[in-house]
Amino acid sequence: MVKVVVDPVTRIEGHLRIEMDLKDVTTDTGTWQFVDKAYSRGMMFRGFEIFLKGRDPRDAWYLTQRICGVCPAPHAEASIQAIESAFNIVPPPAAVLMRNILHGAYYLYDHMIHTYLLVGPELGILAKYPPMVPPALGKPGVAALGLGSSYVKCIEMQRKANEIVALWGGKFPHHASEYPGGMTVRPTEDRIASTLARMVEIWEFVALTMVKDLMALVEANKALGEKLTELLGVELRGLQDIGVSTGNFLSYGLFPDPETYESDWLEPSKRRNALFVSGAWDGSPKKFREEKVTEHVKYSWYSSSSGHPFEEDTVPDKDKEGAYTWLKAPRYDNKVYEVGPLARMINTFGLKWRIPRVHPITGEDYGDFVYEVQNPNGSVLDRIAARVANALLIANKMFEWINDIKEYKDAPVVNYRDVPDRGEGYGLWEAPRGALGHWLKIKGKKIEHYQAVVPGTWNFSPRDDNGNPGPVETSLECGTTWLPKDLDVPTICNVLYPEEDIDLSPLGINKKVKWGDALATALAPLGLAKLNMEPANGANYNTSIALTIVRSFDPCLGCAIHIIER
Amino acid sequence: MAIKTKLSRRNFMKAVAAMGAATFLSTYKSEIVSALKEAGDYWHINWLNGAGCTGCTISFAQAADPDIVEVLTSITVGDSKLPIALPDYMETIHPASGTLAEELKERWAHGEPGKRILIVEGAVQEPGWCEIAGKDFREHLKEAAEIADYIIAFGACACFGGVPSAKGNPTGARGVKDFLKEEGINKTVINLPLCPGHPDHLILTLAAIMLGIIPELDQYGRPKAFFGRSMHDELCVYRPYYDRGIFATKPGEEGCRYKIGCKGPVVHTDCALRKWNNHVSYCVEVGAPCLGCAEPGFPDKFSPFYDEIPGLPKILGISPTTLGELLLVGSGVGIGVHLGKRVLSKGEHEEEEEE
Repeated sequence: MVKVVVDPVTRIEGHLRIEMDLKDVTTDTGTWQFVDKAYSRGMMFRGFEIFLKGRDPRDAWYLTQRICGVCPAPHAEASIQAIESAFNIVPPPAAVLMRNILHGAYYLYDHMIHTYLLVGPELGILAKYPPMVPPALGKPGVAALGLGSSYVKCIEMQRKANEIVALWGGKFPHHASEYPGGMTVRPTEDRIASTLARMVEIWEFVALTMVKDLMALVEANKALGEKLTELLGVELRGLQDIGVSTGNFLSYGLFPDPETYESDWLEPSKRRNALFVSGAWDGSPKKFREEKVTEHVKYSWYSSSSGHPFEEDTVPDKDKEGAYTWLKAPRYDNKVYEVGPLARMINTFGLKWRIPRVHPITGEDYGDFVYEVQNPNGSVLDRIAARVANALLIANKMFEWINDIKEYKDAPVVNYRDVPDRGEGYGLWEAPRGALGHWLKIKGKKIEHYQAVVPGTWNFSPRDDNGNPGPVETSLECGTTWLPKDLDVPTICNVLYPEEDIDLSPLGINKKVKWGDALATALAPLGLAKLNMEPANGANYNTSIALTIVRSFDPCLGCAIHIIER
Repeated sequence: MAIKTKLSRRNFMKAVAAMGAATFLSTYKSEIVSALKEAGDYWHINWLNGAGCTGCTISFAQAADPDIVEVLTSITVGDSKLPIALPDYMETIHPASGTLAEELKERWAHGEPGKRILIVEGAVQEPGWCEIAGKDFREHLKEAAEIADYIIAFGACACFGGVPSAKGNPTGARGVKDFLKEEGINKTVINLPLCPGHPDHLILTLAAIMLGIIPELDQYGRPKAFFGRSMHDELCVYRPYYDRGIFATKPGEEGCRYKIGCKGPVVHTDCALRKWNNHVSYCVEVGAPCLGCAEPGFPDKFSPFYDEIPGLPKILGISPTTLGELLLVGSGVGIGVHLGKRVLSKGEHEEEEEE
């Protein structure tokens, strides 16, 4: 048996190691190596719940942001809602709206960097789509070849989105303006105007460039599927048959309606008025029940029992036999659920989505963005599409929130309440990469118990107490994760795209070359000729497809391992 | 290897205190380029992540002017088309993964002596809590630190331990300088704290290094150009509220943020001047207290965050006077005068060297 290890997995947050056992599959066209078993391993532990214990509960939302610097804002929000629930206070509508604006901008940043900086490079290379390849030849390459044009634009746009976060939050990462019961910031005219100005540019990038790039990927994917089928002798439509998960999708709901916050949002099984609703889709829509969330630890380095986040008793045990990760295994109703943009879209809109693209200032109609889920069990392509769809929905909605907040210029922004002697509560929110919950108990005005169950833990979880692999492990094991043996990235690309149609004359090289040869030209001087190649048993295995699957989940490992209590 | 330039250490301090990163780089670009043309090799950067949250990398990606694409592509070495500074290793944005990523560390190690920069993000823990490529983070750091010509700790965790070192943490997290000292590696570590680190601070420090200048550091290893001034005394725009005795008593109210826990009076940072995210805002501007993330001891020294500074002695178990000596160096007018609560000793302003 061949075992291939990727450690560190880069272009993610945190320290992740993926181990894959390969199997030979013989078809009409030859013998190929596919992933048989996969193990996802989280490799760094900090212990947030331990040092939260005994602190002023109002500090928790500040500190838990530092669980993850890629998704700090969602931790702040889950935490502040847990605190509010334990304090028994409800934020006023103005605060809910300002939170929506701040977090909406945050979401746009996050979906952009993931789409372009983190998962984008492999997609651009696999699909022969230069705008999504990193700008390896610098600005001249962008100008002459369009190499990395979207990537470079994304750097600028994600920054502008975070400028909006800073307008309402002071800075990003780690904003400062929330407070139990509301916000400390006010909806001043300059904040509203500055937000609007930036949002127009961001909307244009999301609605025009991101959607266009996705459509180009979907188109290129058809050819990719045909070529892979021909080459491997295995029926493959494309990226919709790669990285296939369980078909169970969990969403806690995201972006509440300010006016029905108490009646709708504060009851997580309802949450029908939010931009994204709560739900536990298993092929058909199901209501979400908070009490069905548990964490399993049989294969995790903890010497303790599994249970609900309010009850779990967990201590680290680095030497536990059979365990292979710092991640626990969260389960819903004891079953494996995938979380993330695709889960939000499917729970809210089902399997077919239609989102308008009307310019918020000029009113020009660019035509609806329409997408039908290609694989109801989840796939690389559907996850990428869902992320773009999420971004578009939020970009549209931002203008509504910015307009609405004008009505609240003089309205109260905080409902105050002193720290209670006792209380318990939870805050359920969504990080861009999926369902995020914080659970909190207060005793003697101090934190007695804190537990966070985060999206990285859901998706990158190890096997559970019943031996069922987590969503990423399932996706890698789905049968189509091909690890080309001794075929490097340029070679694969030359096989997939044999035509000589990349014109290098803008770079002063007067010839046309194959896609793979062009990539080789760009990769070699950067020392990247062996990109994604991993040695095992005397051969080198190309892990590009496996890494694309892993990254399609938007890994965030700092989040996933933060925890223990007691 | 020192590069001869017009820019002295003293000028550098003045320049970075007064200029944005873009103005600074454009002013000195020709000097940077000419210095590098001779060498014909780019600066090698190894960016290691330990026990952190990647927020510092994301913060670096928020650099506005220049942005990171410009930093990495617009100043090239001679005619080589290679950028002046290329991260050979940077987990969060580098194209390479796994074996190749680790091999590229070798390229860094074999880079031209004098031009190998190590940037560390995240704290250093006891053995066994953070493993990369089958090796403890401590080993990765030790090996790199022994080779590095310059070491920059970026963000509160790498500087002083930060949030992972909060009381009760089981992993023994600490800053890079402390760790290296324990390991017998006595090298200068340039500390760029804040949570996260500020992108301008990093870009300007890198530029200074390329110009052959080590920024002048304070007793905590922080460049004085960025961390030499009291936020409250010298920079805070809400200072007039304080002088007139107008205080916010609850978060969300207008007024000086002192009574809702603002640590500005004991914090040295240029946040209030430089601001964040393309100079848009900073914590105090959105009605929140300063948390003190520029200082050693963050977060415990400043937690509970919404408590006034006089609450600190209770936590630290030391007298207010000692605390005053520890924290109030350069803080100027005694807080007690205005608040009528407590008189804290007035520290002396540190003398600017080379003035």
